[in-house]
Amino acid sequence: MNFSRIAHNLNYVFSVVLFLLGLYTIAVKPNLVKKIMGLNIMETSVFLFMVSIGMVGSGNAPVVTEGVKPATMVNPIPQALILTGIVVAVSTTAVALSLCIRIHEHYDSLNAFEILGRDELF
Amino acid sequence: MSFSSHYSILLVAVPLAFAALCPIVGMWKRELCFPFSVAGAAAACFFIFSLWGKVISKGVVSYTPGGWKPPLGIQIRIDYVGLFMASIIGAVGLAVLVYSWRYVSRELDAEKIPYYYTLYMLLFASMLGFVVTGDIFNMFVFMEIFSISSYALVAITGQRRAVRAAFKYLLMGATSSVMVLLGIAFLYSTVGSLNMEDIAGRLAMGGYTSVASIALVLFLIGFAVKAALFPVHIWLPDAHSIAPSPISAVLSALVIKMGVLGILRIFFTVYTPGFAGIEGTWTALLQAIAWCAAISIVLASIMAIIQRDFKVMIAYSSIAHIGYILLGICMLTDKGLTGGLYNILAHALGKGCFFLVAGIIIYKHDLRRITSLRGLGRSMPVTAGAFAVASLSIVGLPPSAGFIAKWYILWGCLQKQHYVFMVMVLLGSLLSAIYCFRVVYYMFFVGSHSAEIDEGPATMIVPAASFAAATLFFGIFATLVLPSLSSAAQALLAG
Amino acid sequence: MRKAIMLLALAGIGVMLIYAVGEMPPMGDSGNPDKTHVAPRYLEHGEEEAGASNVVTAVRLNYRGYDTMGEVAVIFCALCAVVAVLGREKTGLSRTHMDVSRVKASVVVRTTVRFLVPVIIFFAIYIILHGEETPGGGFQGGAIIGASIILFTLAFGLPESTRKIPLKSRVPLESFAVIAFLAAGFTGILFGANFLTYIMPGLSEHAAETIRQVMMMVIEIGIGFAGGIIFTSIMFAMIREDKYELQPDSS
Repeated sequence: MNFSRIAHNLNYVFSVVLFLLGLYTIAVKPNLVKKIMGLNIMETSVFLFMVSIGMVGSGNAPVVTEGVKPATMVNPIPQALILTGIVVAVSTTAVALSLCIRIHEHYDSLNAFEILGRDELF
Repeated sequence: MSFSSHYSILLVAVPLAFAALCPIVGMWKRELCFPFSVAGAAAACFFIFSLWGKVISKGVVSYTPGGWKPPLGIQIRIDYVGLFMASIIGAVGLAVLVYSWRYVSRELDAEKIPYYYTLYMLLFASMLGFVVTGDIFNMFVFMEIFSISSYALVAITGQRRAVRAAFKYLLMGATSSVMVLLGIAFLYSTVGSLNMEDIAGRLAMGGYTSVASIALVLFLIGFAVKAALFPVHIWLPDAHSIAPSPISAVLSALVIKMGVLGILRIFFTVYTPGFAGIEGTWTALLQAIAWCAAISIVLASIMAIIQRDFKVMIAYSSIAHIGYILLGICMLTDKGLTGGLYNILAHALGKGCFFLVAGIIIYKHDLRRITSLRGLGRSMPVTAGAFAVASLSIVGLPPSAGFIAKWYILWGCLQKQHYVFMVMVLLGSLLSAIYCFRVVYYMFFVGSHSAEIDEGPATMIVPAASFAAATLFFGIFATLVLPSLSSAAQALLAG
Repeated sequence: MRKAIMLLALAGIGVMLIYAVGEMPPMGDSGNPDKTHVAPRYLEHGEEEAGASNVVTAVRLNYRGYDTMGEVAVIFCALCAVVAVLGREKTGLSRTHMDVSRVKASVVVRTTVRFLVPVIIFFAIYIILHGEETPGGGFQGGAIIGASIILFTLAFGLPESTRKIPLKSRVPLESFAVIAFLAAGFTGILFGANFLTYIMPGLSEHAAETIRQVMMMVIEIGIGFAGGIIFTSIMFAMIREDKYELQPDSS
């Protein structure tokens, strides 16, 4: 492992930590809304990662203005991509929450174990 | 530029336009939604099948929306595999759409019907977009559209089990999508491009190979969940068995194949075979897929045998068939790849027919238990006959398409001398004979309660029967498809 | 047990990812592969080629416009999914705390909201229209519009806000973004260029430039308003509940 590079790429490290946190929440927490939160944390970690890829040390926003050289601007592609990514995340969250509403109507609970216990499948 | 040069974008854009207009049409007159979406799907089919001539003559058809050259803009790249998948999507999607008319108008609330058709058309358009794109991020976007619409379509009845299954599907599906997105980010940070061919070229230049191989692992996990490969298949039996039957048919016949196509695209177009630097990871991962696939063949077949519910049994059988497809692909010989691709066709037709038959039985009699299907061969001869014919293909007996597929898969295993895999494929076929013919036995050879003929509506019978007929057709006239599939296999192996 | 297996798997993934981080190009270095391949071309020629001085907007609408079309389809799809799972709201019936409780939101809150909402929408329109030159754009503005309507609904209740924005006008607006994109795409095909081309061949430079500006503007406005309306409709569908006793609007 290249520890000096890891220490330099701190943003990446934190996004990995957030990613694992989200994955842990999805897999282990029984509450369905917490699972959705975990999903969002995971998605956000990827967005953080992508924005960090495009970063340039002491760079400028990628808006063409007088006196700013293109070489000092940050990479615009990851920004455009995560804009799409955010919309996708919002959409997934909306669908997940509406399913949660329905589940709560049917089972009066948002606890995964209780829901599983309520009806065994066939 | 002639109009026909735009077919490669129109096959995505036209069904998308119909999807966007569907709620407006539904607000005006609800009954018009069905003919309207059929028109959209039929137009897409026309564009797809008109493209075959061009692909056969040129090999690859490329199109750039906005006119930007590939690394700059998004490229639509239609090759043999893409067009083959698109043709299956078009034909199966259209037939199931026709089928779903009567089913949906009875099973769903009237206010949900326009949204059913909208979601169906979105699913249809986005699967087409997924198979024809040549850009990994664009692939992700279309993957999300078909994922979200399939979560919703599973839950559309609003029953408690349906909602629960959809939530489970959503959690696993969304997690896998994030994995794919992270893989794209990893890859982008090392090559700076999103176009598949361009990435392949940039990766061949070397540098950052370990990051690229970890991105490969992430892609594999992501698409394996979408394809329901063995350790991550647990969402499938619930979601596919509880969804409305036309949706089960589409999910099983088409949507899980998108995961397979994702694996194909990543492993063969982005990371080309025999690539310096990450060749070790590439081969090891394919070996891992092959073992998982072989395990899923045997395990899912056993699980299918012990099920008492008809639709759950069919759902487990889908996992086994994903195993056959991926096993054929992982053999890395042209015969094995041809067999895997042919099984995509054979399974789409056979499993589509199974779920449509299950839907007709549920529609008419509301029967789900296998033991309660007794005597249906007499009261519903066409439906039960279609099931019997399709089960030949699922088991892999001649003269059906499934036989050709399994023959080629076995041939591929033989070429690489993987005798263990051959035994597992044969064992899986034997097990599938048990679970399929058990149902056939109950339908035809156990005493019936009524001998009067009582068939389902024609719009439901015809798609199911034509799928069954198509499995026989592609079994007998396999030479119609095999040459283009073997060119597809050769193109994939060449990278 | 389950937890232990999960933690073990997570540790495996974590070590793998951290290892990858150590092998990645150093963050913030302008010589990284992502900044030397496609990006410089966008930054140098983005303004004259794609017609937006905000290069992010140029990438989003022009170079990768097809992606943005997919993205618009994603939120449209999410709306359809929410409506298909939950059903549309019924006019004048809801179960929000605000509508059911006897105590209405206070006059202070209502008056403030009444004053604030137009200002917020005005700001959103600015964000939408200015996306080509400054940070901003369709989705950002759309989110702000959606937020302003959510604020209004919180203060006045669902019946009042569904009366202000009735279903009949919302349904066409919801699909407007996808339709605007596809219309721009088909216009390109009609003029003989590729799908989603903004510069039409066979026109004078000035006319082509004007058409491009108009088309990009229509798409941005479409994304913004459709996005706002879609967020609103999703919220309306989530507020509506029919399992509990429905409360008729008392005001």
